[in-house]
Amino acid sequence: KKGFPESMNSSAPSSSSAGQGSAESPAARRNSKRPKYSKFTQQELPACKPILTPKWVISIFLLVSVVFIPIGVVSLYASRDVVEIVDRYDADCIPVSSRNDKLSYIQGPEDKTCNRTLTVTKLMKKPVHVYYQLEGFYQNHRRYVRSRNDQQLRNPGHARDTSSCSPEDTTPNGVPIVPCGLVAWSLFNDTYDLSRNQQRLTINKKGISWKSDRDHKFGKNVYPQNFQNGTLIGGGTLNSSIPLSEQEDLIVWMRTAALPNFRKLYGRIEVDLQPGDVIRVTLQNRYNTYSFDGKKKLVLSTANWLGGKNDFVGIAYLTVGALCFFLAILFSLIYLIKPRQLGDPAYLSWNRNPVGR
Amino acid sequence: YACSLLRQGMRQIIVTLDSPEIVALEKATPAPDKAAIAQASKRSVVEQLEEGTAQVSKFTSDAFALIIDGKSLVYALEPDVEKLFLALAVGCASVICCRSSPKQKALVTRLVKSGTKKTTLAIGDGANDVGMLQEADIGVGISGVEGMQAVMSSDVAIAQFRFLERLLLVHGHWCYRRISSMICYFFYKNLAFGFTIFFYEAYTTFSGQPAYNDWFMSLYNVFFTSLPVIALGVFDQDVSSKYCLKFPMLYQEGVQNRLFSWRRILGWMFNGVATATIIFFFTVKAMSPQGYDRDGKPADYPIIGATMYTAVVWVVNLQMALAITYFTLIQHVFIWGSIAIWYLFLLAYGALPPSISTTAYDVFVETLAPTPAYYAVTGFVVVSALVPYFAYSSVQTRFFPMYHTVIQWMRHQGKADDPEYCEAVRQSSIGHTTVGLTARSLARSNSL
Repeated sequence: KKGFPESMNSSAPSSSSAGQGSAESPAARRNSKRPKYSKFTQQELPACKPILTPKWVISIFLLVSVVFIPIGVVSLYASRDVVEIVDRYDADCIPVSSRNDKLSYIQGPEDKTCNRTLTVTKLMKKPVHVYYQLEGFYQNHRRYVRSRNDQQLRNPGHARDTSSCSPEDTTPNGVPIVPCGLVAWSLFNDTYDLSRNQQRLTINKKGISWKSDRDHKFGKNVYPQNFQNGTLIGGGTLNSSIPLSEQEDLIVWMRTAALPNFRKLYGRIEVDLQPGDVIRVTLQNRYNTYSFDGKKKLVLSTANWLGGKNDFVGIAYLTVGALCFFLAILFSLIYLIKPRQLGDPAYLSWNRNPVGR
Repeated sequence: YACSLLRQGMRQIIVTLDSPEIVALEKATPAPDKAAIAQASKRSVVEQLEEGTAQVSKFTSDAFALIIDGKSLVYALEPDVEKLFLALAVGCASVICCRSSPKQKALVTRLVKSGTKKTTLAIGDGANDVGMLQEADIGVGISGVEGMQAVMSSDVAIAQFRFLERLLLVHGHWCYRRISSMICYFFYKNLAFGFTIFFYEAYTTFSGQPAYNDWFMSLYNVFFTSLPVIALGVFDQDVSSKYCLKFPMLYQEGVQNRLFSWRRILGWMFNGVATATIIFFFTVKAMSPQGYDRDGKPADYPIIGATMYTAVVWVVNLQMALAITYFTLIQHVFIWGSIAIWYLFLLAYGALPPSISTTAYDVFVETLAPTPAYYAVTGFVVVSALVPYFAYSSVQTRFFPMYHTVIQWMRHQGKADDPEYCEAVRQSSIGHTTVGLTARSLARSNSL
């Protein structure tokens, strides 16, 4: 726009400084009162002052897309690699005759055995994890989460410690319940027996809980007492001769889920399942989810380094990577098509909307 | 003329009580008639003020200077005249009240403050300025020859009058920017955190179960996100002091409230809510209900809570790094240090016995660190929460730059030392105003 002069003269300040005639006289005294200069107090520390140049913007977007798209592909492959079979059984496992009064069926003494069939479509390498999935069950409700006593679970001497466990704290005689509280009381008690070609598939129920829970949160010499003895049955019973640290179903159940739709590990099958295998499930449909219209599902799934089957991670990586790539292209085009002299004051927002006084 | 309050090319309006008529009344024998003097003086003052007003409205493109002395000021500050006086004074580029008493100084300041509803600054060095300093919104006291009275009754004390330039242009601009950025960012980070908790409540039937461990939440604003805010509020600079002085119109950013407009505040709040939405829903969707680790164990409450919290801490701190353009050692230590403190805290808190750490016991060492899914989820959640702001910032820096951004560009391109270019920027950045008109022309004729 403007031709720049050959010789650079020193720039004069445009603001006229006032008071030139003021305190000039005690120059020596002024110098002795001046505070010591330091970069920190004068706010002149060495600094990095980055600015979003077109180069940086495009390179950052490209970098993100170059990193994310491969990760997305890998994650998607990992997720596709996982084989998962989900079977909802709570609706069908009520005999037709009881369908219009599910509640009295589930609470009654009838036989709860139910037979299901699952077909394996792809090879499932061992170990195959067996989960039960509940939907509409709010293990994350505040009153529910607080209804337990961790001291009691760890320490046999603290058996009487049933504060915050109400209403499942003591028997009507005042004897404490171990483990107390609603969380333990609502222990899931459906059981599954799987067989393939008339041969039973053993479900390994060891190691389904986190080690820190087994070692430090549930005591090795704490035994269930007076558990599930009341009139209102909330769930399963416990073998009172096995210490809590070995009751892995209880430990898994008591590690509360974050959301109302959750899975918990039931056990693992230590053999491969071939494609075309027909798995027969003989399950006991004991757990009452009917009073709140919850759902129960049986899940068989493999797992790899990324966990179970969830395409979301892979798809999200791919989407973000692609979006960033698209933005990089878009910005490149914009910078090419409209290469404006950066720092041009004509584009100041003030000058586009002139301000009055 | 020495301090450029009066400049060549300014028209002067002088209001005094030196007219022969009034002098005659004052010298009347045997005793001056006070009532008559007062009446005549007031009439004279009003007349002169009205004449001045007529002049100002006739020569609209000229700069005017109003000069009024202490005796006339007595009448000009009377309740029925003060509005006329104020209107005339506001229309002039400079107003000089000479020989005014301390009370009059304070009254004039109060008149300007309440009449124009603008922020007033008063500067003085003597005991007679105390009233004025206390009356004004900002009182600047000069310590020195006349003693410390002014300093003791002022809001800001400086050693010499010429430091006022630096006080306003450098520190005033920086403080405005720091405070407005800090407040906007503070809203942002707490909304980003609070809304994740709020969204979680929708999944717990609003029973009040928080998404995170209690101590996580208590220490959010103490350990993990407080230091960068302090760095922003205390140390941040958009341009260095050299450029603040070189481009005085930068100060107008504060006068026109460009950095703390409702648009900016609501923009940052919206950013916070959007960030929380992205973090919460992406984390929840990615981590449940399927198995989480290699052994198929699912992600339960401690795991999802800690992962989401990690994402929040990363996003909020990286957002700070994206928003500021001034990185000293302090900023680096505070920002990256805050993120590191979160991990250290997880380790330390998780190592405490379960009676204290409850759901966070061993959560990092046992469940988070060894699992690739944790890193995968944190990685994409953090980046996707920041991409919108980054894109917006790129567009704004390029196409809708603010004045300080323009100066940053100039500095970056090395044009900031080119006097002609700087002059062009300065001239074209000024709006339509007669304020400083003659000052600028004087400066122009002086520099070339």
